[in-house]
Amino acid sequence: MQIYLPIAEISVNIFLLLGLGLGVGFLSGMFGVGGGFLMTPLLIFIGVPPAVAVSTGANQIVASSMSGVFPHWRRKTLDIKMGLLLLIGGSAGSIAGVQLFALLRGLGQIDLIISLSYVGFLGVVGGLMMVESVRSILRAANPEKAGSKRPLRRRGWISRLPFKMRFPTSGLYISVLPPLAIGLFVGTLVAIMGVAGGFIMVPAMIYMLRMPTSVVVGTSLFQILFVTALTTFLQAAQNQTVDILLALLLTVGGVIGAQFGARAGRNVKAEELRALLAALVLAVCLKMGWDLVVTPSDLFVILPRGAGEGF
Amino acid sequence: MLTSLLVAIALQGQPQIATEAPGIVAALTQETVEIREDFDGAELVLYGATRGLTIRDEIVVVLRGPGRDLRVMQKRRTFGIWINAAPLEFDDVPSYYAIATSLPLDTIAGPDELARSGVGLQAMLEANAAAMAPSWLLSASTLPAETADVLQPAAVADDHDVPALIRRDEVADYLAAIARSGRRDNTFAEAQRGVEILDGGLFRATIALPPLTPVGNYVAEVYLFRDGRPIASRSASLRVEKAGIERFFFEFAHDLPALYGLFCVLMAMLAGYLANLAFNRR
Repeated sequence: MQIYLPIAEISVNIFLLLGLGLGVGFLSGMFGVGGGFLMTPLLIFIGVPPAVAVSTGANQIVASSMSGVFPHWRRKTLDIKMGLLLLIGGSAGSIAGVQLFALLRGLGQIDLIISLSYVGFLGVVGGLMMVESVRSILRAANPEKAGSKRPLRRRGWISRLPFKMRFPTSGLYISVLPPLAIGLFVGTLVAIMGVAGGFIMVPAMIYMLRMPTSVVVGTSLFQILFVTALTTFLQAAQNQTVDILLALLLTVGGVIGAQFGARAGRNVKAEELRALLAALVLAVCLKMGWDLVVTPSDLFVILPRGAGEGF
Repeated sequence: MLTSLLVAIALQGQPQIATEAPGIVAALTQETVEIREDFDGAELVLYGATRGLTIRDEIVVVLRGPGRDLRVMQKRRTFGIWINAAPLEFDDVPSYYAIATSLPLDTIAGPDELARSGVGLQAMLEANAAAMAPSWLLSASTLPAETADVLQPAAVADDHDVPALIRRDEVADYLAAIARSGRRDNTFAEAQRGVEILDGGLFRATIALPPLTPVGNYVAEVYLFRDGRPIASRSASLRVEKAGIERFFFEFAHDLPALYGLFCVLMAMLAGYLANLAFNRR
């Protein structure tokens, strides 16, 4: 059954979209990630214009992070003060990112920047995650060799920054600058890559801010919810690239898939799960990198040129 | 008496039909095509009648979609990766161009005549490029061989980014790329046939509208070719528009973008909240 998407202006099989939501939702539930880094490239692959894929991806993440944030809210595993700081940085990043997006689209280079960002970030994050998880798997296999646990390093230069603030929920007393900077960086990624940025924010909160792991995921979801909401609004208002029908269809599949994924994830060891996720991230990275290098089937691209926006 | 009258009418009528100026009329079976949520392409039928159709006559139907401005870029390998470069801009290229004929187009008229009348994909694209910068294509043949290779695009408005020098054969590559891209998504179609000549000078043309049919105002032009020359033509208009829920969301998104953005955010939040109610309650 075909459905015509009003903003993407293409006709797509409705079961393909539901299946896509289900599949990506399953993986995101299993690995505890947003799944935007899978969804956006897949949407582009099935023919959704990149600009619409990125903006609609952000809209879909609003729904998934909304459903994810409630349990953390109830269990109080959520540092609202830290979340708000990340959100301030994230909002600025999102506003800048939407402008940058429009500018690059006008230059005809947005596809290249999206691809390069994916290859760069997924390569680095996937590579680090793979190394770390393989090490923990090996350590678990021969426990006698892994006796020396590394001492927790001091925060170093981060602890010397000014404008310190107390964060009771996380038990931290640190400068407000690093959370703002992390938020800014991730907010820009939301606008340009259509990803939630959890895969960058969670490690940054654990390793740079040294937040307790228990509050990291909830705080990350809290920040993602509002930054993606702002991004959706800005992309819709400025670029008219949010397809509500597409977003809702993906959401329906996504929330159901996430439930099954979360259940499936409980039967797999944490470090093996991380290795699998790393493999998935690296696979997407390699695919996008390959597409940049391999000779395209048509050496010309036809880009629409609209009033002022280049869309 | 009666028979003689009939014979007189018949005799009078006979030469009149033969000397009548050739003409053509046509009408589309529908004036609007609606794109609804289940739109997956459509078939358009055009009926027409000719006056004074002879054995040397052929019919060509052209359906042309709304024009749009394009930037065509060439991918070039830079540091190992393919990057869009060398943009060339074209104005008002039809977003849809289909042609149906009673015989293969190249047997109906020669390339010169097609170029003159602007009928056919190639002729249409070349006319478009020539309108933008006449020196690209038209004057090349009149220039000496050395200068014909590299031409300065002259009649290009300031807001168009064009490389400083364009080779004439390169422009042809860009036009070919536009044609390829249109054929790929079936928005450009040159059916070898598609026009069926019925009895009594009537004819019927069928044209396929693909799933990617652009919305806007279309013009159907019907030509009567005799001995390779168009001797009569008529046009009819068609409108392709979004309807139902498609139209509602499209207009909402474009007319009230801020409110639409707010709506999208609230819908997503509601969906997330409902999902939470359904699955996370323990």
